[in-house]
Amino acid sequence: MEPLTHEGLRPLEPLARALSRAVPLRPGDDGLFGPRSTVWRLHRDRSFPVAAVRSLMLQALHPLAMAGVAQHSDWRRDPFGRLAATSEYVLTVTYGERAAAHAAAARVRAVHARVRGVDDVTGLPYRADDPDLLLWVHAAMVDSILCVAERYGRRLEPGDPDRYVAEMVRFAAIVGVPADQVPGSVAGLAAYLASVELLRATPAARDAIAFVLDPPDLDGDMRATWRDLGQVAIGTLPEWARTQYGFPAPPPEAMERETVRQLVGVLDLGFESLPGVLEARQRIELRMRA
Amino acid sequence: MRAGVVPSTRTARIAVLARLLLRIGGRYASRSPQLVFASVDRRRELRHDLALRSAEEVAEELGAMKGAVMKLGQMASYLDEGVPETFRATMARLQRDAPPMSPDLAASVVTAELGGQPERIFARWDPLPFAAASIGQVHRAITRDGRAVAVKVQYPGVAQSIESDLRNVALLRRVAGMAFPVLDTRSLVEEVGERLREEVDYRLEAQHQELFADYYEDHPMIRIPRVLPDLSTGRVLTSELVSGAGFEELLGWDQRERDLAAETIHRFVFRSLYRLHAFNGDPHPGNYLFHGRGRVTFLDYGLTKRFTPQDLSPLEDAARYIAVERDGEGFRAALERAGFLQPGAPVATEVVVDHLGAFYGTALRDAPLTITPEYASALVRRFFDTRSPLAPYTSIPRTYVVLQRINLGLYGVVGRLNATANWRRIAEEIWPFVCGPPSTAIGEAEARWLARRLPGRPDPRGAPASPGGAATDL
Repeated sequence: MEPLTHEGLRPLEPLARALSRAVPLRPGDDGLFGPRSTVWRLHRDRSFPVAAVRSLMLQALHPLAMAGVAQHSDWRRDPFGRLAATSEYVLTVTYGERAAAHAAAARVRAVHARVRGVDDVTGLPYRADDPDLLLWVHAAMVDSILCVAERYGRRLEPGDPDRYVAEMVRFAAIVGVPADQVPGSVAGLAAYLASVELLRATPAARDAIAFVLDPPDLDGDMRATWRDLGQVAIGTLPEWARTQYGFPAPPPEAMERETVRQLVGVLDLGFESLPGVLEARQRIELRMRA
Repeated sequence: MRAGVVPSTRTARIAVLARLLLRIGGRYASRSPQLVFASVDRRRELRHDLALRSAEEVAEELGAMKGAVMKLGQMASYLDEGVPETFRATMARLQRDAPPMSPDLAASVVTAELGGQPERIFARWDPLPFAAASIGQVHRAITRDGRAVAVKVQYPGVAQSIESDLRNVALLRRVAGMAFPVLDTRSLVEEVGERLREEVDYRLEAQHQELFADYYEDHPMIRIPRVLPDLSTGRVLTSELVSGAGFEELLGWDQRERDLAAETIHRFVFRSLYRLHAFNGDPHPGNYLFHGRGRVTFLDYGLTKRFTPQDLSPLEDAARYIAVERDGEGFRAALERAGFLQPGAPVATEVVVDHLGAFYGTALRDAPLTITPEYASALVRRFFDTRSPLAPYTSIPRTYVVLQRINLGLYGVVGRLNATANWRRIAEEIWPFVCGPPSTAIGEAEARWLARRLPGRPDPRGAPASPGGAATDL
């Protein structure tokens, strides 16, 4: 099956391949979370791209996390390829078999073990396998997925947010954060996020986020759609984070649920037209119904 | 041998029975409702394992622009060229894979609309749909008075979400820009918008379907399923169930059959336009059922446009000037009157005739002509040609937007059939300003039908029904 249009969607192709690979055809087990988990439900939401961009924006506000990326990754050369690699990791740990999830985590740990240095701005040394840094990255992601799902995703049941945060403890644990340090409730997550010091938008972070919000690979209508999506992500950030970047708040009408769902729907339809995406989603859906 | 006698007797008996049935049933060999019910079964094509179980799942699947974009895709799927092949294939797949409603969800819509569980409202109800519709699905049923029916059930909530999607015009344009990179997407978006708004109200569709059914009653080739008004509402549309061959099946029949089918489709479109003053705007392969020897059932009246004599007058003039009188200036003036061409555009009349006359290409010469897929694509390309010298001075007035589908849809369908006919002679039969004699076997049958029609019906021949209207000077 050919994609919607060749050129416009090409940047999303690595993301489509990532999804297709991460969701097994004939799984031998239910993986770390299982089809009944809130993790499965939230991670297939179509608002996920907004959560991903918000996540990156929040994560980049830790100067040491940002330094690790800025000094050790050539993500700029292939931003969507890099995004796809992260996405494949998240999806494999979510929907893959246990062995696949652990193998993916082991690869990430091996990469992290080599990433270390000194941040130019704070002058502080960092290591990518530092549990404190990993916890920040994890918490920023969990907070983003939850925040975006609550505003723009499918309806959640009252206990779902807490369940989600609790289930995701395993997600942090397999890359090397001691489970007892990972927040297990919405309140715990908020308290942790409020406690992190040092957060600020370094020049590297501003630079990287400007790139994420308007990647040069996109053109025309696709670019406009991605940029609108970035504005929504900005609008969902806590005010302190948004002000760090110096972004104005988007107009309230741009943040309305229906408007955002339509925007996400357009991107998603393009994404779903890429080879393997619909099939992978159907595999997930059928297992959740079984 | 005795053994040989029995079957031959049985065969003879069956033959007699068959003839009897044919006589009873008229042209469309009538079959028992149970048989019709049983013969319409395409349920296996649908993904029942992924059925939508709640209004929320429907919103996820068809809300958030998806319904609107799929409608764009549906239109694209029968444009032969001018849209990327990839887009058509993708949309066809998305549409094919669009999950149906679960039996419970569909039943809840029927209950809300008809005031009772479908099993109580109908004598027999198939809880699984046999076909998908763009914003609903179709169930087989048998009414309590024993008629086999097709019950179109709309997805719950889809009307509201489509209304909201259509208000987001900027985003819709952007999608159209992505899907149709080379086309002027403005008119397409407006068209899709108008189409969808009308389509969500099944009452309007029922009204239109009855208009056509009344007009074509007893027609030798054209069959329109009757609506059952007592079992129809804004979100449920019940009409006669008809079984027949689909378009793909017709493509496997011999060329003679395909020619006849194309002739009937062609006659239906132009007779409806010129005589009934109505256009069923969806010449789409999925909307026909073929019964052999040129007999066709026409389904889906979701988008029907009715014209006033004043609307049609300049169109008839244009056809008359270009095809009959060969008067370029007259043709140009008619197009200007209709609003297709700016008056006084700095373009030579020969250019106007050359470019816009192409849309009358099948009716220009009195000779057999084969409408090929290439012919249809060339027409579509010409239609969307933004580099034509006329492009800055042409536009499509809102009244005629829906007629675009003659060029985009009808010729696409007829082209896929590679159909040959003397289209000019057929046009002459239908044109009110010519009223030519029957030119084919179907034409003869149609003439007999016209002669048989009860007095008091709008006279499909000669002057239009409203005397003194603007069309009388034609």
